[in-house]
Amino acid sequence: MEIDGGEAARQVRVRFITKLPHTLRVSSASITLPSDVTRAQLSNVVNTLLNTGEHEVFDFIVDGELVRVPLEKILIAKGISAEKVLDIEYFRAVAPRRQQEPELHEDWVSAVDGSNPSVILTGCYDSFGRLWNSSRLCTHILEGHTDAITSVCIINSKADESNDSFHVTTASKDRTLRLWKCDATDGPYPRRIRAVKVLREHTSAVQSVSAGPFGNMVCSGSWDCSIKLWQSDYPNMEGDSVLIKKRKMDNNAAAREEALSEEGAISTFLGHTQCVSCIVWPEQETIYSASWDHSIRMWDVEIGKDTVNMVGGKAWNCLDVGGESSALIAAGGSDPVLRIWDPRRPGKLDPVYNFASHRSWITACKWHPRSWFHLVSSSHDGKVMLWDLRAQFPLAVIDSHKDKVLCADWWNGDSVISGGADGKLCISSEICIP
Amino acid sequence: MANQLPNGGFQGGPEDPKLLTKHKNHISNEIWTRVSDSSGEDEGKDPEAEEIDSEDELSLKSDSSGEDEGKDPEAEESDTLEDEYLSSGDDEGKDASAASESAEVENDSSGEDEGEDLKAEESDSSEDEVSPRNTIGNVPLEWYKDEEHIGYDRDGKKIKKKARKDMLDAFLASTDDSKNWRKLYDEYNDEEIDLTKDEIKIIRQLLRGKTPHLEVNPYEPYVDWFTWDGKGHPLSNAPEPKRRFIPSKWEHKKVVEYIRKIRKGLIKFEKKKEELRFYMIWDNESAPTEKASQRLSHIQAPKQNLPGHDESYNPSMEYIPTQEEINSYQLMYEEDRPKFIPRRYERYRVIPAHEKLLREFFDRCLDLYLCPRSRKKRINIDPESLKPKLPSPKDLKPYPVTCFLEYRGHSSFVLSISMEASGQWIASGSSDRTVRVWEVATGRCFRVWEFDVPVQHVAWNPRPELPILAVVMGQEVLVLNLGLGTAEEQEKVKELLHVEAHSVPDDNGENQSVVSWSQHDKHDGIKLKHFKTVSLVAWQCKGDYFTTVVPSGDSRAIMLHQLSKKQTHIPIRKLHGLPVSAIFHPSRPTFFIATKRVVLVYDLKKIRLLKKLQTGLREISSLAIHPGGDNLIIGSREGKLCWFDLDLSSQAYKTLKNHSKDILNVAFHRSYPLFTSCSDDCTAQVFHGMVYSDLNQNPLIVPLKVLQGHKSVDGRGVMDCKFHPKQPWLFTAGADSVIRLYCD
Repeated sequence: MEIDGGEAARQVRVRFITKLPHTLRVSSASITLPSDVTRAQLSNVVNTLLNTGEHEVFDFIVDGELVRVPLEKILIAKGISAEKVLDIEYFRAVAPRRQQEPELHEDWVSAVDGSNPSVILTGCYDSFGRLWNSSRLCTHILEGHTDAITSVCIINSKADESNDSFHVTTASKDRTLRLWKCDATDGPYPRRIRAVKVLREHTSAVQSVSAGPFGNMVCSGSWDCSIKLWQSDYPNMEGDSVLIKKRKMDNNAAAREEALSEEGAISTFLGHTQCVSCIVWPEQETIYSASWDHSIRMWDVEIGKDTVNMVGGKAWNCLDVGGESSALIAAGGSDPVLRIWDPRRPGKLDPVYNFASHRSWITACKWHPRSWFHLVSSSHDGKVMLWDLRAQFPLAVIDSHKDKVLCADWWNGDSVISGGADGKLCISSEICIP
Repeated sequence: MANQLPNGGFQGGPEDPKLLTKHKNHISNEIWTRVSDSSGEDEGKDPEAEEIDSEDELSLKSDSSGEDEGKDPEAEESDTLEDEYLSSGDDEGKDASAASESAEVENDSSGEDEGEDLKAEESDSSEDEVSPRNTIGNVPLEWYKDEEHIGYDRDGKKIKKKARKDMLDAFLASTDDSKNWRKLYDEYNDEEIDLTKDEIKIIRQLLRGKTPHLEVNPYEPYVDWFTWDGKGHPLSNAPEPKRRFIPSKWEHKKVVEYIRKIRKGLIKFEKKKEELRFYMIWDNESAPTEKASQRLSHIQAPKQNLPGHDESYNPSMEYIPTQEEINSYQLMYEEDRPKFIPRRYERYRVIPAHEKLLREFFDRCLDLYLCPRSRKKRINIDPESLKPKLPSPKDLKPYPVTCFLEYRGHSSFVLSISMEASGQWIASGSSDRTVRVWEVATGRCFRVWEFDVPVQHVAWNPRPELPILAVVMGQEVLVLNLGLGTAEEQEKVKELLHVEAHSVPDDNGENQSVVSWSQHDKHDGIKLKHFKTVSLVAWQCKGDYFTTVVPSGDSRAIMLHQLSKKQTHIPIRKLHGLPVSAIFHPSRPTFFIATKRVVLVYDLKKIRLLKKLQTGLREISSLAIHPGGDNLIIGSREGKLCWFDLDLSSQAYKTLKNHSKDILNVAFHRSYPLFTSCSDDCTAQVFHGMVYSDLNQNPLIVPLKVLQGHKSVDGRGVMDCKFHPKQPWLFTAGADSVIRLYCD
């Protein structure tokens, strides 16, 4: 624009574009705005243009970056001419709009899995795993571990989707992994079920478990520094679930029952020198593991060797793989920084992104299952944060926990579930991921 | 005498070298070239010449030979150093030889003259006008011995020798002739001379030492032919003696001696500078530093302008301003106005200041004397440069910096913490009578054991497969099974921690009364009941032995227990001072006992004192050993931390005064080069303590971080500190009942 108008009158012409449904679409005609508009003002402008009566918070993207500072500064930083018509894409802000009443556990919630949209699986320090259905009802209590559950995983096997039952696996400090079969049958809730299979070979507490992409295998990482692969599908995986109201069972009988269903590991990957704190298995041939020995390794499942060994300066607590073409590695550890690497880059030792808004250890980080940009992270500082790779600061901070948050996950594509040391399972829903 | 040198030859003065050389040239041009040649060759002919030559000749020869002698040592001594001198000496020698030549010349010429005289005498019989017939000069007649002539006359004709008479004939003739005794043979002219009676008479007179004849008046009046007035000539008319032209042998010897001494360095040329006894008080330059050190440092007085005429007490009228001028001064600006207006006084005494003048002088001197201005000495040293060169803490990462986790649950002082070997668990003992085991990663209290007495100290068994905790409570030490580990491990532990009732170790009765092993009635473990309060327990690295310290136990203060055999030894009975702490060497069978002042190093196999470390501390509170085993840190109650290099000496390698209050505990990291100290001032300090495998390199100690966060309760601060066994993390236990984890 012309400079003669002075500072105050400096203006830009913008055009709003969106992928939102028709009701939230504004006309594509360009309008003139003062150049120092902020995100909130832009949001107001769009709301005014929409004139729906409801106030909706929008987020805006200019040239691949979320608008977090006045438009002017973005233009200067990106070197965009102020004379051109600026295309601003808007979408509904990624933030939880509804905070559901937390589900109380008897002890710390150490693990949560929301990979199945119909159920939420939680692991608890009281050694029980719990399954919650979408109406937030505890449907199953997984009973059998003798110590705190450290990690849980729903085995999403395509074959099993037909008959409303699915398998889950849990890892515990009692050095075992257990496989469970849950039926989505009606009945008096909660149903207590016992494990169909006990995977007992680790010599120390199992810290992490992850199911393979086809659901036929699970891998686990433990304090004994090893990663073990286990077979998870076998023909007669039914009939072990017993409805037990009163947990009065002869110990010997239980032991015998469990002894029958024990099975050893298929293979063991050795290489880490300290506790394998997190493990993920996104593709059939690759397992990613993070450890307290400061390394993140990629294992080739076929040969059982680590192909990539990234040594960072911290002890890692959590790891996830996702993002653009499911290749970015996000990890958090014994410091408040969430780091994201791109292993495809040649110099892949330094992270591509550093998100440092947490104030304590990061306990969990998860990529959104569909979005390339969105992450959730939880920390000992009691906060769950939503991140967009295009913004340096968190999109939203969920502060519903009173104590350390130990686990967090996406659920159902639009909710964030998190469990913490206050024994709550918090569900923050209605997050619009574009 | 006939050979007397005429003075005329030396009229110019022998000292004048120009004249001398001129003379020499003259000679060379003239007839005596041959003579000079011969004198040049004289060395070879010396002996012969000596025989024949006249006295003068002889003396000349001897002189020249003396010169030669002088030359010889010169030649010996000649060296580059004295080349100059020697060459000059050579020149002198040449001059001298020239002089001798000239002398010779004169001599010869005089001889010639005499010859003429003689001849004249012969022909005219008058003494004065006789000249010699022969003209060969004063040469040895031997040269003509084989010739038929004896020389040349004035016309150049040869003078023939007369036929020599037979000796016999001559004798006969002499006997015949009564006057023969008067005859003389003149070899030179080859003739016989008859001496007259008068001549004989004169000779006789002379021999007797009397006047030759009566006509001689010995008292003739002295006629001073020389006109003295106005002439600056020397008093003596005596010819310059020859020695003046000859370099002195003695001097030459002396010079050579000096040269020798100079070469040897016995003679030095730099004269000592005489120190000035007096110095200018108001000297321009400030006093040199040496002076400053002796007396008061001198400070230059400010220079004052010299007084002008106008400042005189009685200036000329032209300097006195008129009244108008004085008035005009009043109109000027203050700074432009002249400071001094000249005034006239008749006499000095009339000056107003005169009355006080003496007083003022005195005061001024007193000022100078009593208030000496002193120069403030400023040391221009960059304070940064005084700091030891230490690497930046940034380069020494990782080390614990921030507190991320707190382990809350205790309700009173956390007195002790201990790490599990793998770093998954941490145990803590508190004065709220509980022992807690925490999960490191989450800060969750895994289990609580409750007791009846405050828990003084906890120590986790260093073997990872033995989840056993030694707990010190009062007089008891409980070896507690924590219930961790696999089933097989648990079985082993249970077996290990099983004591049969009254299974008294086969030891003497004294030990029995000191320690009794029994099964704990409430918890799964062994109870070791001591006879007095136990303060500390420490495991040996293999996890079988452990030691307990009973500070007031006198000769039974340090006890060694073996878990597998359930036995107790008292290895060391003699201890000077109260024991404070005891630890095992990480690899060798060596044992360290800290008493209040010293640290004793014992060999456990031979039960022998290896070393005694003098700490110089007032009260030791804790000690820790480097995992390498050669370095020890000791914390003291006065807030000092000592680093001992056991290989180096029994004195502290470094002592750090880092805490303002008692240091309660010190710890080394197992793998990272870190150590820490925690104190009652509510801080824990982390240091970089690098121990090099190169024995020549001293350990590097760099203070890294002061960790704060604990609150002071009852004046107590941080009670214990332990490093995570694998991560660069530090756990601190505070009096505020919180355990904190500091991460990198």
